[in-house]
Amino acid sequence: MPSVSTLLEDRGAAFAGYSFAFLDDMAKREIRRAILKGVAIPGHQVPFGSREMPIARGWGTGGLQLTLALVGGSDVIKVIDQGDDASVNAVNLRRLIAKTTGATETLDTAAATLIQTRHRIPEEVMREGQVLILQVPIPEPLRLVERSVAAARSMHAEMDYSRMWLALYEDIVRRGEVSAGAGYPVMVNGRFVMAPSPIPRWDIPKLDNARCLFLFGAGREKRIYVVPPFTKVEPLEFDDYPFDTEHFDGKACALSGATNAYLVESPTEDGGSRWTASDTNYADKVLAGQEVDTKWKR
Amino acid sequence: MEALTESGIRPPDTAAEQPLLRVRGLTKHYQSASGGLIVACEDVTFDVYPGEVLGIVGESGSGKSTVLQCLFQDVMPTSGEAYLSSFLGGTRNLWEADRRERRHLRTHDMSMVYQNPRQGLNLMVTAGGNIAERLLAAEWREVADIRAKASDYLSRTEVPLERMDDFPAFFSGGMQQRVQIAKALANNPALVLLDELTTGLDVSVQAGVLDLVRDIQHRLGMTAIVVSHDLGVIRLLADRTLVMKDGHVVEAGLTDQILEDPQHPYTQLLVNCVTH
Repeated sequence: MPSVSTLLEDRGAAFAGYSFAFLDDMAKREIRRAILKGVAIPGHQVPFGSREMPIARGWGTGGLQLTLALVGGSDVIKVIDQGDDASVNAVNLRRLIAKTTGATETLDTAAATLIQTRHRIPEEVMREGQVLILQVPIPEPLRLVERSVAAARSMHAEMDYSRMWLALYEDIVRRGEVSAGAGYPVMVNGRFVMAPSPIPRWDIPKLDNARCLFLFGAGREKRIYVVPPFTKVEPLEFDDYPFDTEHFDGKACALSGATNAYLVESPTEDGGSRWTASDTNYADKVLAGQEVDTKWKR
Repeated sequence: MEALTESGIRPPDTAAEQPLLRVRGLTKHYQSASGGLIVACEDVTFDVYPGEVLGIVGESGSGKSTVLQCLFQDVMPTSGEAYLSSFLGGTRNLWEADRRERRHLRTHDMSMVYQNPRQGLNLMVTAGGNIAERLLAAEWREVADIRAKASDYLSRTEVPLERMDDFPAFFSGGMQQRVQIAKALANNPALVLLDELTTGLDVSVQAGVLDLVRDIQHRLGMTAIVVSHDLGVIRLLADRTLVMKDGHVVEAGLTDQILEDPQHPYTQLLVNCVTH
């Protein structure tokens, strides 16, 4: 009877009986097919048979299945949770992926080949060949305006987005602006309205004409969709109410001094607040004095 | 009977005048629960010319609303053809159009005012938003333009502009109906379908709504089909009228003619009932 530490040491013994990358081969094949279809129809939600995973639905099962279907032993993987590599969820996912595949773990955005992320796109520009896998809670951008899944699908098929636009109009009438903070709806390749997952507005422009591949996985809702490299992604906006990102009024990250980053506010003991960059790897690099390319749009 | 159906087609005033809408042999059958056949309307044929208001009158169950529902694609007919000159050059049978074309038809070429405003309006969207919906479908993408247009239509239909950003759920029935009319006019559809638009409103409000429709018709030259069981409404609004009974058109002609000199026994009965 091997001890727990031996099991953890010896990957072969500990994971004997599991497939490479946890998922069975048929599941991986199905997911890869869904990805290929998604690449062919950018922004279109492709259904897939979401498998039971060793984490609960809603904790990134869609993203995890995409990652496991793609990862190989030579991949370098990074997992981000709201910008943070060190959250419990990010660490556990990263370890699960590494242990079932032998892939190398990293925190470095530039070094990673596969990045699974929850609700952020890294500040550092991703290049050709890199894949960003986004975890998605609600893949259907029309969910708020149409509760019937069947009706929403035919609205997509007919490119009937007038009710989506109406919701934006009503928002402007009532609040003077479009209030959607995270997950601002976007038009992909001039054809499909897509939920970009709850990334902040700050990250929306990064989707447009990027060099990397964006994969979106919703495990609970059983949908996969894709924004291929160099694809046009535009936020829905009225001519006289243009889309705008968050502004931080010249604030800098309290830890690294980074200014060109999405900042999050946390309370301090004296009742005030402190702003820090949500992308911890970017903050680390700025702190170490490294040059980091953050110009996604060229 | 056959000749009467045929007279639903008015000979054009000039050779150049083409009907806006041509309906031929519209038939709708339903299957009853016991398996029997229910005829909602049978072989209904008529034309509507640009700028004209066609009335369809008949008792409830006569099939008049079915005709409108089929035209507006709420219900698909069992058989028949219809051509709208503004829709794909008048070459496509409305009932053979694909889903995308049918949606275009409903948002650009036609509009419907339902008896119950709940059907035609989204009560949880502001009055202005309801009008905006048709404009947004036509790819209007400037809020200021949309609001200017919406207030234009709302003021035409005498809805106070300060209610523009309120929800029609909290409007009176008459005002809901006026918002529905404003929505139907938005985006200048070629054909407006009015289904029992005053039924359920009290008499003074009815008069206001009828005045409004008449006024708009005169000013905008709107082409419309008005369906009502009420000959008074038909008399006020329609240039020509079809009389329907049990799914068939039993009489057709100029509204005045039908009211003054009804030929079919059913029309005679109808006219006698309302002549005070």
